[in-house]
Amino acid sequence: MTVLRSREIAPPKTTPQGPKTRPKSDPSTPAETPESVTTTTTTPPPLNSTPSSQSQSQNPNSNPNPKATDSGSATGLLRRRSLRLASKTPEGSAKRNTQIDEVGFDLFGERVTVMGVEKRAEELKLGSGLDPVTRLSGKGSGFGEEEKVGVDEGLTELGLSSDLGVLGGNSEEKKKRKLDIDINLPAWECEEEDGGSKPFLSLRSGKRVAKPGVDGVGNGEWVIDLSADKSGGVKSKGECGRGERGKGKLGENSIYVVVLDSDEEVERSGENVFQSDLPSGGSSTGKRKLSDAIEIVVEDSEDEMSSGENGVNEGRRKYSRQEKGKEKLVGGALLSNDDDKVELGLGLEVLSSLHNVVPSPTQIRENEALQDEMQARNSNRRENGRDRNQYMERFRDIARQNASRFARFDPREEEENDMPPQVDVEQDVEDWPGPFSTAMRIMRDGAEKNMQEQRAYTGKTKPALVNWVPKCQEQDRAISKNLIPSLQELCLSVLAMNADAIVSLESVPDALRHQLSHLLCDSRRMNTHFFELLVQGSPTEVRLRDCSWLTEEEFTKSFQQCDISNLTVLQLDQCGRCLPDYILNSTLARSSNCLPVLTSLSLSGACRLSDVGLGALVSSAPALRSLNLSQCSLLTSSSIDTLANSLGSVLRELYLNDCQSINAMLILPALEKFEHLEVLWLPGIENVCDDFIKKFITARGHNLKELILTNCINLTDSSVKVIAETCSGLCALDLVDLHKLTDSSLGYLANGCRAIQTLKFRQNSFSDEAIAAFLETSGECLKELSLNNIKKVGDNTAISLARHSRSLHSLDLSWCRNLTDEALGLIVDSCLSLKMLKLFGCTQITDLFLCGHSNPEVKIIGVKMTPILKDVKVPDPAAGPLHYSSISST
Amino acid sequence: MKKEDTVKLISAEGFEFVVHKDAAMVSQTIRNMLTSPGGFAETEHGEVTFPEISTTILEKICKYFYWNLQFASGKQTEFHIEPELTLELMMAANYLHT
Repeated sequence: MTVLRSREIAPPKTTPQGPKTRPKSDPSTPAETPESVTTTTTTPPPLNSTPSSQSQSQNPNSNPNPKATDSGSATGLLRRRSLRLASKTPEGSAKRNTQIDEVGFDLFGERVTVMGVEKRAEELKLGSGLDPVTRLSGKGSGFGEEEKVGVDEGLTELGLSSDLGVLGGNSEEKKKRKLDIDINLPAWECEEEDGGSKPFLSLRSGKRVAKPGVDGVGNGEWVIDLSADKSGGVKSKGECGRGERGKGKLGENSIYVVVLDSDEEVERSGENVFQSDLPSGGSSTGKRKLSDAIEIVVEDSEDEMSSGENGVNEGRRKYSRQEKGKEKLVGGALLSNDDDKVELGLGLEVLSSLHNVVPSPTQIRENEALQDEMQARNSNRRENGRDRNQYMERFRDIARQNASRFARFDPREEEENDMPPQVDVEQDVEDWPGPFSTAMRIMRDGAEKNMQEQRAYTGKTKPALVNWVPKCQEQDRAISKNLIPSLQELCLSVLAMNADAIVSLESVPDALRHQLSHLLCDSRRMNTHFFELLVQGSPTEVRLRDCSWLTEEEFTKSFQQCDISNLTVLQLDQCGRCLPDYILNSTLARSSNCLPVLTSLSLSGACRLSDVGLGALVSSAPALRSLNLSQCSLLTSSSIDTLANSLGSVLRELYLNDCQSINAMLILPALEKFEHLEVLWLPGIENVCDDFIKKFITARGHNLKELILTNCINLTDSSVKVIAETCSGLCALDLVDLHKLTDSSLGYLANGCRAIQTLKFRQNSFSDEAIAAFLETSGECLKELSLNNIKKVGDNTAISLARHSRSLHSLDLSWCRNLTDEALGLIVDSCLSLKMLKLFGCTQITDLFLCGHSNPEVKIIGVKMTPILKDVKVPDPAAGPLHYSSISST
Repeated sequence: MKKEDTVKLISAEGFEFVVHKDAAMVSQTIRNMLTSPGGFAETEHGEVTFPEISTTILEKICKYFYWNLQFASGKQTEFHIEPELTLELMMAANYLHT
């Protein structure tokens, strides 16, 4: 089929409406878009205008599912954010010189994927350079992201225009970058063009932007070439028609080259594209602010170019992007025609190929300003090719200069999708490449930008603005199922009241026994009678949270009835009173190996237990996997040696909180002998310093899943760095009271520990932006988060939490006084898994939030007077003896 | 009560308690039995048998179901449990996940 080529449109007066391909990203104002949707191709595409355009498209990308770009901004403001869309670079598209960016937009509910394709300059003969070619690629993977992007930002429209430009990233990795590039390109171009003629340069593509084949065409209007492919062709024709139409206005604008792939996909996307046309209302051009005219280059599928670089689906669409803002397109398209059917929609799909130009991210921001300028230039005629060439040269130079700045992709796009960029991670303290740093940069830039421009963005870039309004009254809120007492709970409470009347606990499952025992201990109703019930027979698990009522004699007497051969879990917390060394001989350490299957032993508070006693205990329980020796103040480092010698190969969990006589550096050699240590609690131990952490972690930190460093105040960022680098499987981390840590720690954690589920901060001096950036990169798997007393927590964190913390079920924001009702409302309404929210000390919270939030499941404690004991963290009674592995794993 | 929205809960001794489906669904176990696509006999006939739950306990459980629905709809009263039943009731409740 014939490939329709866009050709230059004649000078304004005469030219039919040039293919004002509307950049995909360029959603015309709402008024425009609907019109544009209906615009049809008026005349057969000019074709033959520029053979070069044919050669342009080189990247065949199939677009399985073109997505319509969002027409977005009603105001026609182009949002640079669309860069994000571009970020989804097609993986496959590694063309030699081309980079493909996939950008998806939502346009009128349709998603169009726009892929940026870089065009080889030489191939494009248009003008002096290559026309920016955008390619539509239907990358499946990209879609999701695009959707997200589109949905998130609703940017659509604006973003598109500028974003579309993106494309080309130099490599897949740089996808995001591509977006930026696009956006920026136009920006520059706008700037450059202040004077007048508008280079068509696909803004995005920067250098490559071929001045629309319009060499010589005064206004450089591009004709849209549409491949004559069947379906696609049809549409293309329509598009071309646009070009044809060029009524007058076109002249002003650059020519848009649209090459539609004959592919079906193309067709589809074409359709979408068409629909997403820019609104034809010429008058609205101003509003449209097409940042770039997007040239859509449709290539015949037979085109050799398309073969392959990307190897992705069959068709590809190339779009060359014009710098001309929408206005141009619109103007052109709408040209004199009433039907304006400028399928500027095509523009939506226009992908500009990007070459090496990588505009700096900041340019994106400037783009908008540029957009405005573009509007102003709307009526400017394009200069002829000569000028364009100059522009192109300039752009190329600029691109070259800026390329190095873009070694990293723009994090903004990434924020939308959770795809971690493939960036080399340099473990330098000062410089943390990776998603975290990019996120941080975005925050900071956003904050600056906000201050500069007072845009009405919502989202990350607008720290001061959290949009949330209370949606319901307290009484309307559905009563959560969790708040209705279950029959089990009711029974337990009755039993706790009448524990003395219980005769036997036979056939009661362990989980229920534990719950009952805990209830009794909490209410101080535990006594010998119940204790005997618990240890009667041959129990497998005995848990007592509080043995402070138990005397030595009672303990000895009751325990002697117990057949301990089946005991797997024994918890005797607060047993200081009843467990001196000499008791062990008659109870727990009757003989060597008398506790053959004991997996988990907790003797916290055994303040009369000495090294000798521990030795005896250890010899009777050789299979011990979890040992809790919290507050055993008589133990010294020699007991750890004993442990290491007998349990070094099996011990998984070691709790040493507040063992005051233990010195960390002295136990270091012993600790290094534990081969499978997964849980280590070190608060309150003397001399936990950076040196200790470094040595221990590098020796044995690989298996660590839980590391609790509360109050080890000597630790600094370098410890966190080591932890992040080594403990990639870390699930729980506690950095409470470590006031020497700075934001760098968050950076290390974001880059290193990707699977963190429980995170406890308190009194740390982290900044709002850093926490927000951390959440953006690692927030998805977080289940419990404590930001207690992190004074700077504010709107940025709230927004990041709302966006990225889907699995969060427990959140502590006590003493965070910078959080407003709106911020909390946003968090609570967005974190749908949230069950517990602690707000102690948040005196700024009012009923606006407390009664207005619409999350029925969440329990808010700390604001009003509510009983809280049962909300204190208790071990899950149904959980196994080990937190992170099962007993059978050796 | 229409046949369609009731289920029959049968105790160990063979007593049959006919309750509303909504009430029975308070129990997660029963809900799974009745709604799972596995083609359980229970789903088809709308009958669930509990060979290890005695009649008095099952009766109390049915009362709990209705109490639960009432609580959720706003009327929040106290649910009294006779102490002698409690241990068994607790185990049955644990089994029924309610």
